[in-house]
Amino acid sequence: MGIVKIERIGGLGGFGGPHLKSRGECSLADLSAADQAAVDALFASQGKARAVPGNAPMRDGFSYRISRQTPTGTKTVEVPESMVPAALVSSVKDSIE
Amino acid sequence: MRCHCSIIPNDVLKRFAEDEKLSAPERKNFADTALVDTEMRKLRLQAGKLTNVTAALSRAPVATVATPAITVADCNHSQTLPGAPVANPGSSADLTIKRAYDETKAVAEFYKTVFGRNSIDNAGMTLGSSVHYGVNYNNAFWNGMRMTYGDGDANIFIDFTKSNDVIGHELTHGVTQHTLQLAYSNQAGGLNESISDVFGTMFRQWRAGQTVNQADWLIGSEIMGPGAIARHFTCLRDMASPGAAHCLAPQPFHFSNYHAGMDPHYSSGIANFAFYKIAMAVGGQSWEKVGQIWYKAMTGFKPSVNMRMKTFADRTRKLAVSMYPGNVALQRAVNAGWIAVGL
Ligand SMILES: [Zn+2]
Repeated sequence: MGIVKIERIGGLGGFGGPHLKSRGECSLADLSAADQAAVDALFASQGKARAVPGNAPMRDGFSYRISRQTPTGTKTVEVPESMVPAALVSSVKDSIE
Repeated sequence: MRCHCSIIPNDVLKRFAEDEKLSAPERKNFADTALVDTEMRKLRLQAGKLTNVTAALSRAPVATVATPAITVADCNHSQTLPGAPVANPGSSADLTIKRAYDETKAVAEFYKTVFGRNSIDNAGMTLGSSVHYGVNYNNAFWNGMRMTYGDGDANIFIDFTKSNDVIGHELTHGVTQHTLQLAYSNQAGGLNESISDVFGTMFRQWRAGQTVNQADWLIGSEIMGPGAIARHFTCLRDMASPGAAHCLAPQPFHFSNYHAGMDPHYSSGIANFAFYKIAMAVGGQSWEKVGQIWYKAMTGFKPSVNMRMKTFADRTRKLAVSMYPGNVALQRAVNAGWIAVGL
């Protein structure tokens, strides 16, 4: 089924910058059917996902950059935290680099 | 499944709701989410309209409550907002609750006494905060309606209410939402973030009665956890030295280093450093003159969603002349501050 790589970015501290990192990964096979479907839905909405966060009033919220392998290469989506299944959220770990 | 699917198209949700490969409870979950999604979209549209209406009303003279109500809710480590309302948060034994209440009240007082502004919307809007959000949650945010604070993971960060500039920062996102209505990407995003840092740090200096020379200009210095301190990080950002090694989130501070798509928490370093340079050149207390110019630039004009940094800089240049016509030194300081960052 493949691996999903997850990176938490943004927030008040600007995660994803030079020192603050938050990364994780999980196997799609380990996710429940519902979470797998939710991940599929995130990728299915890729084109439309970008427009809304900029208009939403949320400020300093976390976003998640989620990547997975497909037959045509790596696909990545970037979505706000409220969209991300809990299993993916809990896979990331904050660190200083 | 925790899914507030506001950006997944409704037709995709409905497709999953009818997907035979999923169990009945899972299909119901997607059907429910589709329903919630529809209502959330309506709510978001209404919230946008409300912001515009209150912004329009706040431009007219209105008799409203003298001071806004301050409320605090306890998420008790869940990620459900707003959380349970706390009775009498100002006398709570929970120091996080008490601090959120006291400092939010002080930010409201800062805006009122220094800028004559009555709350976020200038019409006495209740200031709501949620604390103890999530588990080991390394963040604070403004969700369009309220401030929310995590407790930190006790390693990189501690309780996000501990830096009062963070509280001023989050509340100021609300003020920006009701005034300039800046977007959250590219140059407008950097300005949006900078305005929150600028008013957050001015609030911190005002609360401590500091002059610009006494202030340390650090953002988030009191939320650094032991793991960050052990690695010699003393703050999130330093407005006086945005790229310094002691910053956990070091920033560029010259426009030549700006690029489109940059996280606004980094591009904000440019306008942050300009404000610092100008305030230091003018001297005294940051909110007396330079803060007044910034406030007028934020609140005295029509919304400018996609404002560019140069436009904001030029606006403050003009305001320095119109607000302080005889003060050539101040006008020169404003100009020099922006030139120093390439604008
Ligand atoms: Zn912010």
